Amino acid sequence: MTRRRLRESLTGYAFILPATALFALMGVYTVGYGLLLSLARWNGFTKDWIWVGLDNYLDILYRDPALAPLVWDAALNTGLVMVGVPVLAVVAGLPIALALNRIRLLRNTLRTVYFLPFVTTGIAVFYAWTYVLQPQGSLNAVLGALGLGSLQQPQGFLGNPTTALPTLIAVMAWSSIPVAILLYLAALQSIDGEILDAATVDGASTWRVTTSVIWPLLRPTTAAVVLLNLRDALQGFQIFLIMTNGGPGGTTNVLGLQAYKWAFFSDLRPTLGLASALGWVLFVVAVLLAGVNLRMLRSRT
Amino acid sequence: MRARVGTYVLLAAYAVVSLYPFAWMVSGAFKSNREVLAGGGLVPADPTFDTFAKTWTELDFPRYFLNSLIVTGATVVGVLIVYTLAAYAFAVLSFPGRKAIYAGFISLLFVPGITVLLPVVLLQQELGVLGTHLGIVLPFVNGTAPLSILLLTNAFRAVPASLRESARCDGAGELRTFASIYVPVCRPALITVGLLTAVPTWNEYVLSRVSLNDPSTYTLPLGLQSLTAMTSPEYNVIMAASLIIVLPVIVLFIFLQRYFVNGLVGAIKG
Repeated sequence: MTRRRLRESLTGYAFILPATALFALMGVYTVGYGLLLSLARWNGFTKDWIWVGLDNYLDILYRDPALAPLVWDAALNTGLVMVGVPVLAVVAGLPIALALNRIRLLRNTLRTVYFLPFVTTGIAVFYAWTYVLQPQGSLNAVLGALGLGSLQQPQGFLGNPTTALPTLIAVMAWSSIPVAILLYLAALQSIDGEILDAATVDGASTWRVTTSVIWPLLRPTTAAVVLLNLRDALQGFQIFLIMTNGGPGGTTNVLGLQAYKWAFFSDLRPTLGLASALGWVLFVVAVLLAGVNLRMLRSRT
Repeated sequence: MRARVGTYVLLAAYAVVSLYPFAWMVSGAFKSNREVLAGGGLVPADPTFDTFAKTWTELDFPRYFLNSLIVTGATVVGVLIVYTLAAYAFAVLSFPGRKAIYAGFISLLFVPGITVLLPVVLLQQELGVLGTHLGIVLPFVNGTAPLSILLLTNAFRAVPASLRESARCDGAGELRTFASIYVPVCRPALITVGLLTAVPTWNEYVLSRVSLNDPSTYTLPLGLQSLTAMTSPEYNVIMAASLIIVLPVIVLFIFLQRYFVNGLVGAIKG
């Protein structure tokens, strides 16, 4: 019996060996390297690192008069994205899922159509949006044709400092709403039809049933949608890199983008340590979010 | 009846929102440069296939396309081999530390990409694979570890233990049980993981951009990006290139969408 168990253990280790080896190489090494680098000053080319202890963290968080404001502005923008994207995902995702759940005709076709923004997310779609949003772009033309000329943006939606960030939040939400729709739809289909029938027989209106029966039942789904989008909003910066690169005037700079710029577009300035430090600050925030996530999952069961 | 009409109006409106940039992508790709600059309507006044043909032949897109196929294919194969093996161990075998190692992999879900991006590039340099396809495939494979292990372990757990017992009675070893029973039975989960790996890898830009520096190694997203580095962006060419990237994904999705849907719902519930 014990021999059999030993054999099974060894087989188990053999089966996880490729995954663990890759993880040790990519994961452990990069985490260790990244942590060390966050304690050093380096431009990526010189041979030696200059050890600076916690200076990078203190500098980006409050001490350096040039760096700290940059980081806090980016943090504010990131915060706005973290509010805007989850709210839009719920506010748009739920009504659409409710509507989709009510129809038979075209349901599958529409679900496919709604899902395209999610599967195609990436540089190609972001360029298509840039094309649509530019000054001579179709959005301005469509607004003009609809008699909504006052909403047009002569500088383009991404060129105007006041509209750039809200526009990017909307495009980011456009990519993530499909998952919200999908999750809400799956949850709605698992709600017991008898509960809804009972409520309707009692004379409750559709609105009443939605707000006081369906909405509470969907709370775990809403929590999942919000947390998923919080995570993506905290970490995602690709859309900012591609569509505005932080502009105009830094109004769409977010924390991930700032770290990316310090890491790879520093022009020989010794900012690699700063990039690492900022990456770890983001990591701490992500872990806190994950903690909230776990607690909510526990309280659910 | 009025409620029904309202429902369809809402759904139609959101379908327009979903398709809006795709419609203009197609429209732009079939316009001439002059028409694109002038703006104009959705339907090209004088539709031309030239932009498409030019983008494909003159701008090295066949090579980018091939590179993307290589990188995506290698990543998918790597993920399926490495993580089906690991998931089998986590789901079926028992060994000391199993739970802790599993939890370690899953917790990687919460590490932001940007935190490890710079060290990954430094590691590529140290291993001598910076600028090569292997150099990006390794982190891509590792990056899918949490989701792949989660989905595959759940799928393997759902296989009845009696199947494994009967295989064992027939004298099959662990590797044979894995390859001839678990993998075929769980084929839908493998397809799901393959798709959830392939699509983001096909679209990946952030790491590729800072890893690959020789245009002959560029994948499609980098080829697309290099178009915009030219003096004035020619949106007809950019939209044609975007369409080349997006079309394979859309086709794949339309044919295999139930695997996407099951996978995503399973990942979030699990």
